[in-house]
Amino acid sequence: MTRDRLIELINQIFVDQFELEPEELTPEKRIFEDFALDSLDIVDLITGLQRKFGISLRDNKDVQQIRTLQDIYDLVEKLARDNPDLIAKLPE
Amino acid sequence: MWLSILIYSLLVLSSLLFCLIFGLPYLLSLALPERLRGRVIRYIILVYGRMIVYVAMRPCIRVRFEDLSGGPRRPGIYVFNHRSSSDPFLVSVLGEEIVQIVNGWPMRLKFYGYFARLGEYIDSTAGDYASFAAQIRMLNERGVSIVAFPEGTRSGGRHMNAFRSGIFHIARELRLPIYPGCIAGNEEMPTRRFKFKKSGTIMVRLLPPIVPTEQDQFPSAYALKIAVHRRIRQETAKMDKELDDAVIQPGK
Repeated sequence: MTRDRLIELINQIFVDQFELEPEELTPEKRIFEDFALDSLDIVDLITGLQRKFGISLRDNKDVQQIRTLQDIYDLVEKLARDNPDLIAKLPE
Repeated sequence: MWLSILIYSLLVLSSLLFCLIFGLPYLLSLALPERLRGRVIRYIILVYGRMIVYVAMRPCIRVRFEDLSGGPRRPGIYVFNHRSSSDPFLVSVLGEEIVQIVNGWPMRLKFYGYFARLGEYIDSTAGDYASFAAQIRMLNERGVSIVAFPEGTRSGGRHMNAFRSGIFHIARELRLPIYPGCIAGNEEMPTRRFKFKKSGTIMVRLLPPIVPTEQDQFPSAYALKIAVHRRIRQETAKMDKELDDAVIQPGK
């Protein structure tokens, strides 16, 4: 599984759940300022990530540091590196 | 500046007159059980708001209310744009028992804050999501609608700030209709910049509701919030143009 595929899956959450346009989803975008997500929306985002990747982010301290899309890509990539099973289970 | 002084003077005079008329009902309401007292106070606030809007401001400003919600409204959540501190008064044009969600500081005001607390207004800065939802559920079960300004703070101009999501999560959770409301023409009121350069009219327009089954079509509260924001933004832009055109017409 390449990083590109992870990014694609993460972006799909933003498209499906928040109805954002794919072209808006560039790594430098700030999720609070540029997309107007707030703390309650982040709960939905986390739920979406957990469901999509089959991971638990409940106690993950890195979640609190998320500011940009890039941060989310990095976080999921790190989790994928730490859990090789995660990648195997992902939809192609 | 003189116009602002005039408006404020009328506001103070009306408030004094109102206190004289409603002083006794208010004092009697203090002896009532909390739930009944809240209802009485909300009606007193409603009459006060309408008096400010339709009597005190009338010599300077005409307020036009258009209800496009189509048919009888059931208790739900009114979502308004927020340009000016006059907005909480203007929502009295709805003519029904409402509770407003306000920031912490208005709740601490001596006069307005006192009545807001008695009327069970909701302080958005106190409590968490669960307590917030419980309060709204309780009020809604008593037939009380909620008025929210999800921008959180006044925009002070014709633009709209981003919405916060809380009220949209609650609407979906409690399955309450959302009534998008638009206010235009008051962005400079009450400030020293306010002049009769506009049409002297403030418009309040209520749009068709987004009922729970329609809300279900949105994949998230965020998507619902963005859609409501867009509807209000587009409508207020139209209303601004109508007001501007109304000013230009006579001088043609």
